[in-house]
Amino acid sequence: MQRQKARFKDVSLLACLIGLLGYLSGCGRNGSTVSADAAAADAPVVEVMHWLTSKPDAAALAQVRERVIAQGGIWQDSPIGGGETGRAAAVSRIIGGQPPDVFQFSIGSQLAELAAQHLVVPVPLESPEASSAFPEIVRRASQFGGHAIAIPLDIRGENWMFYNVAVLQAVQLAVPHTWPELIEAARQLKAAGKIPIALGGQSWQERVLFNDVLLGIGGRDFYRRVYETLDPNAFSSQVMLDVFRTFAALRPFVDEASPGRRFSEATRMLVHGEAAFQFMGDWAKNQVLEAGLELGRQVGCVLAPASEAAYVVMVDAFAFARTSRPHAREGQELFARVALDPDVQVHLARNIGAIPARSDVSVEGFDICSAHAMEVMRDPNAQLMDPALNLPNGLSGAIDDAISRFWNDPQLSASQGADLLRQAVRTYR
Amino acid sequence: MTLNGQRIRGGVTAGLLASPMVCVLICFYAFDIWTFFMSLTPSRLLPTYEFVGLSQYHRLFNSPRWWEALWNLGLYSLSLISGCIMLGYALAILIDRGARKRAKYAPIFMLPLALSFVVTGIVWLWLLNPRLGIQHAVRELGWSTFVFDWLVRSDRAIFTVAIAGIWQQTGLCMALFLAGLRKIDPNVWRTIRLDAIPTWTCYARIVTPVLRPTFFTAFVLLFAMAIRTFDLVATLTGGGPGFSSDLPARFIMDLVARQELGMGAAGACVLLCIVVAVVAPYVYIEFRRQRQT
Repeated sequence: MQRQKARFKDVSLLACLIGLLGYLSGCGRNGSTVSADAAAADAPVVEVMHWLTSKPDAAALAQVRERVIAQGGIWQDSPIGGGETGRAAAVSRIIGGQPPDVFQFSIGSQLAELAAQHLVVPVPLESPEASSAFPEIVRRASQFGGHAIAIPLDIRGENWMFYNVAVLQAVQLAVPHTWPELIEAARQLKAAGKIPIALGGQSWQERVLFNDVLLGIGGRDFYRRVYETLDPNAFSSQVMLDVFRTFAALRPFVDEASPGRRFSEATRMLVHGEAAFQFMGDWAKNQVLEAGLELGRQVGCVLAPASEAAYVVMVDAFAFARTSRPHAREGQELFARVALDPDVQVHLARNIGAIPARSDVSVEGFDICSAHAMEVMRDPNAQLMDPALNLPNGLSGAIDDAISRFWNDPQLSASQGADLLRQAVRTYR
Repeated sequence: MTLNGQRIRGGVTAGLLASPMVCVLICFYAFDIWTFFMSLTPSRLLPTYEFVGLSQYHRLFNSPRWWEALWNLGLYSLSLISGCIMLGYALAILIDRGARKRAKYAPIFMLPLALSFVVTGIVWLWLLNPRLGIQHAVRELGWSTFVFDWLVRSDRAIFTVAIAGIWQQTGLCMALFLAGLRKIDPNVWRTIRLDAIPTWTCYARIVTPVLRPTFFTAFVLLFAMAIRTFDLVATLTGGGPGFSSDLPARFIMDLVARQELGMGAAGACVLLCIVVAVVAPYVYIEFRRQRQT
């Protein structure tokens, strides 16, 4: 009897679960039929694929969505978790013939290849006024075949040096402005029992640190010769040896548990005062704010040590797939109009922690890091590209490999490091 | 007529029965063939169908990361297979000897098998992290010079992947061996007791040779698993420090992710060849032996 009762309980529980699942899936389906019905009416419809899923990012995108809806559009949301997954999902849907009308993408060679295959169409609204609002580097990177193929949404800066103010004060250190100063500061911090540099040992984080050293030691023109023109003379120059020597000198200032650590864990170490510096892109800012700290007070942000101010940028953008869905073209146009709006761009960038892609907006209301970055970006000479922006992914990946190999093998000399880098560029065909 | 009708019906039934096999052929082998074609093209982000011969293989074999990954695969599969088989066999013997009393322990060793590799990877990531896990715990207990930092040592990181793999797969081996042991004729044990043969001699000389097919199954399963290990290494070490625990599957995924479709396909084909080269002779010998006996 008892057993039977128990079984009955199990069955009813199962039934409840199934019912719940059915209800939930029904909800989802209802949601989509509503929009499909509405699509049948003559409203512009736009499916937007994006990875703006974290809380501040979602809040930022919500404004775009509200405006699209307010102007009579139908918004179909397709969120994907994470940039890499998001890009892969967009590409596979495009290849599979079911492209999302609008999709978030990073400007760069991958997008250019999609455009070369006519899978991505030029931005539906091309007005000279709109494109002149963007910094020169962004304009250049988002063009293919004479057309803009993406709407830049915001600009992310990669060469930030975040530091824990209290930790530096405890050892009575000033914020270093050159790499030798930084190494000296790191030595004192280590002697005081602190971890000088919070680094996650993943190849992209090691590359961020390397690029900071490259820019700091070599300067802006050298950086361009390396990553924009791939000048063989730059790779075998004395300056390159200095870069590798300085990079190698940083190894002792990273703790032993670094390999494999995620960047957010490294930021946590900085926030909690275990580590003094982190060299990371502006996406580390959100975590500082979430911990209840104020930028410029408890955690400082300056550009990584360099003699010439420069901002290494990556661009978050939305691109437009070739689509034959009814009313999708109008939807794409509507989306473009909204996304290019200065108000939207400012709001979005502020929430995400980046700077707006448009340079004709006021710095008011931005945190001190972003405000500083917007100042720096006014000088076209200070705008530098992340390698992913203009190099093919295969090549920038091979460069990452070379940097990571050098960083993780203390046996390698500076000239062997420069050889690895040269080799990586040469063997990519 | 009836005969004819039967034959026709037989044809339909045969067709139905064969259909899964046709599906298997299309679903599995078509992709293999397509991958092989891709490896002969210059495809990067999107597939192209231009023929460039073996140049992708040439690029692959010129890549130091590929050779490092292959070497790591050798170390990893060797330690994984031997570790799992030895531990699994030992556990199976212990449980089998305890018979009913300890049978309830068997599921405990099977539990890790229910976890995904990603979860296993993360659990061991925490355990092996020198600042959080075992090393930290032992130091807190008072042994302040204790060092267990394999996860972050270039020369040991690959073995941490093997440890996590062994932890997860031992249960499977144990179950295989346990099933094998249960099938051994009880008369064998009676005879041994009568003849006063030491137990370990019995295991070494009689039981182990009898379990030969079980060893074979365990080897093939584990080897196939070792070759396609991706998620475990991706979550546990991320191939690092540097590329010291990189495995071919991870490298291939990296290649595809960075728009090197052709080169990634070449890597996949080489892996397939390795599996065939290792497993095929073994399968051939085993089957011939089974047919002879």
